Amino acid sequence: MKRRNDRQAFLAESTVDPGRRRLLKAAGLGIGSLGLAGTGLMTSTPARAVKTNARIVIVGAGAAGLAAANRLSSRLDGARITLIDRRERHLYQPGLTLVATGLWKPGQTIDENKRYVPRNVEWIHASVSEFEPDANQVVTDTGQRVDYDYLVVTTGLHVDFDAIEGMSPELIGREGIGCVYDNPEHANRTWEMIDRYTTEGGVGLFTRGPGGIKCAGAPLKVAMLTEDLAQRHGNRDRLEMIYNSPSAGLFSQPDMDQFLKEEFPRRDIDINWHHRLVGIEPEQHRATFDTPEGEVRLDYDFIHVVPPMRAPDALGNSPLAWQEGGFADDGNWMEVDRHSMQHPRYPNVFGAGDCVGTPIGKTAASVKAQVPVVVDNLVSVMAGRQLTASYDGYTSCPLITSRGQAILVEFDYNLDMVPSFPFISPYREHWVPWIMKDKFLKAAYNAMLRGRV
Amino acid sequence: MAFSIFGIFAVLLEFIRPLLPLILAVVIIDLVLLLLALRNNGLAGTLAALKRVLPVGLVVFMLGLLFGPWLTGAGHGNLAGILDWLSLFGAAVGLGVLALLVVWPPVALLRSKNA
Ligand SMILES: Cc1cc2nc3c(=O)[nH]c(=O)nc-3n(C[C@H](O)[C@H](O)[C@H](O)COP(=O)(O)OP(=O)(O)OC[C@H]3O[C@@H](n4cnc5c(N)ncnc54)[C@H](O)[C@@H]3O)c2cc1C
Repeated sequence: MKRRNDRQAFLAESTVDPGRRRLLKAAGLGIGSLGLAGTGLMTSTPARAVKTNARIVIVGAGAAGLAAANRLSSRLDGARITLIDRRERHLYQPGLTLVATGLWKPGQTIDENKRYVPRNVEWIHASVSEFEPDANQVVTDTGQRVDYDYLVVTTGLHVDFDAIEGMSPELIGREGIGCVYDNPEHANRTWEMIDRYTTEGGVGLFTRGPGGIKCAGAPLKVAMLTEDLAQRHGNRDRLEMIYNSPSAGLFSQPDMDQFLKEEFPRRDIDINWHHRLVGIEPEQHRATFDTPEGEVRLDYDFIHVVPPMRAPDALGNSPLAWQEGGFADDGNWMEVDRHSMQHPRYPNVFGAGDCVGTPIGKTAASVKAQVPVVVDNLVSVMAGRQLTASYDGYTSCPLITSRGQAILVEFDYNLDMVPSFPFISPYREHWVPWIMKDKFLKAAYNAMLRGRV
Repeated sequence: MAFSIFGIFAVLLEFIRPLLPLILAVVIIDLVLLLLALRNNGLAGTLAALKRVLPVGLVVFMLGLLFGPWLTGAGHGNLAGILDWLSLFGAAVGLGVLALLVVWPPVALLRSKNA
């Protein structure tokens, strides 16, 4: 019932403001053929491309930006598509957890953006420093002003190391400090820390940033894989492991939350509730946590630091960000309609990926579900049609519980499990989801970048 | 999140992409050998060679069953329930058939040379 209401609300909200539509038409965006009828989201490119001379700017060439560039370039004929991102190196971020736990080599996560940028897309190697949606412009850090008729924002997020006093990315791999949320080199140094910890033993603190973070399963996976490693080394009794949750839960999906609340004690991983990491003294090997009872200091031999995350400043400080409410307070996330992925105040602007403020969904799996919706709805706006594509909040996490086993968790905004493969239980550890994570997800990710899934 | 048939092929293509030149080379060499064997032995003779390589397929199938989980960094202890065991069985069958197909053309051709 709730789902239907959400959908009805979406359909009512998503009609494009006619004034704005006129403005876009006046901008000379004559759309030729439409040929969109029957475009299923899960199917490949429609047979006939839509003719247009619209200028489309995509900011951010990560998972969402590249997927959007590929899909738009095959859906549109004549559009001038510009991709803006300074970064040349492409990181397969879901592999960082595997690097940090010694299962992959860092090189397995490193790729090049140029392999995925379509030929007919212009790539500006710069960062956007200002979003000016009232002028339909973005400004790069090199001072270049780029005009657009349509904007797709896919900047990902900023991992806020500065929010933890005494912490910086350079500390990763020193003084018992690890973190999977940076880059492959630091993930590898995290592995050195975990390897040492599971050999020598001591107190291990596992943390999780509050609010919206990308792949909320990663901190849990790091804790469970560390425990598994210690078992394999025969050193488990030398490790005291403590998982520090900033809230009263471990995972947003209730069934998985319940499973983990039983699994952690079963594996002798203690849990501190309402413990938010706010400071670190690397030399002293001491961490400070904010708790309802005040600040608590804990000594450690190994600590997995997971900072809070927020929208990159250029986006978070722009008119495109939520101006008030939970998503503004949490991380200055970009405002979008949670179903259409369209900006409610700037209908020619869409967002996808980690940067958007939606209740769940900061995963590559969400990107796979969001980008086709963005592209479909963007084309509909161009054509002056009602938006029909809808993102249901799909997100997924192959929750690795030990080397060789995982649970394929997939759920939506209603926190209902929505398994892609009905024969794989989303409630049970299996070998098959482990193979998927270890061997096949990168292939699926690359196919997504090429706009093929 | 459903995958279309097109999507599944796209994922498989990405999976084999790093090995694509090697796979293509093996397929082309095998096809050439198979054509030569067909020319020398005829269809019946070439198919008869399939019987001779059957043990190779069987051995690879057995090895797949025994070492499949190990190849993925796991152990048989990690297999939980019918899904995992069926997947292992399916993968081992696949490996066996693959080995059979790779070995069959050269063996068929050698047979004709020896005949
Ligand atoms: C350790 C870890 C484990 C993960 N595990 C999983 C998993 O198991 N399953 C899963 O589905 N997902 C997982 N994820 C999450 C997944 O990787 C992200 O959700 C996904 O990469 C988001 O894509 P994106 O395009 O939004 O952001 P990104 O891929 O981060 O790309 C953002 C791009 O925007 C660029 N950019 C930023 N600011 C600007 C600017 N101002 N101007 C121009 N360009 C800019 C950046 O340079 C970057 O290239 C994991 C992530 C991490 C870190």
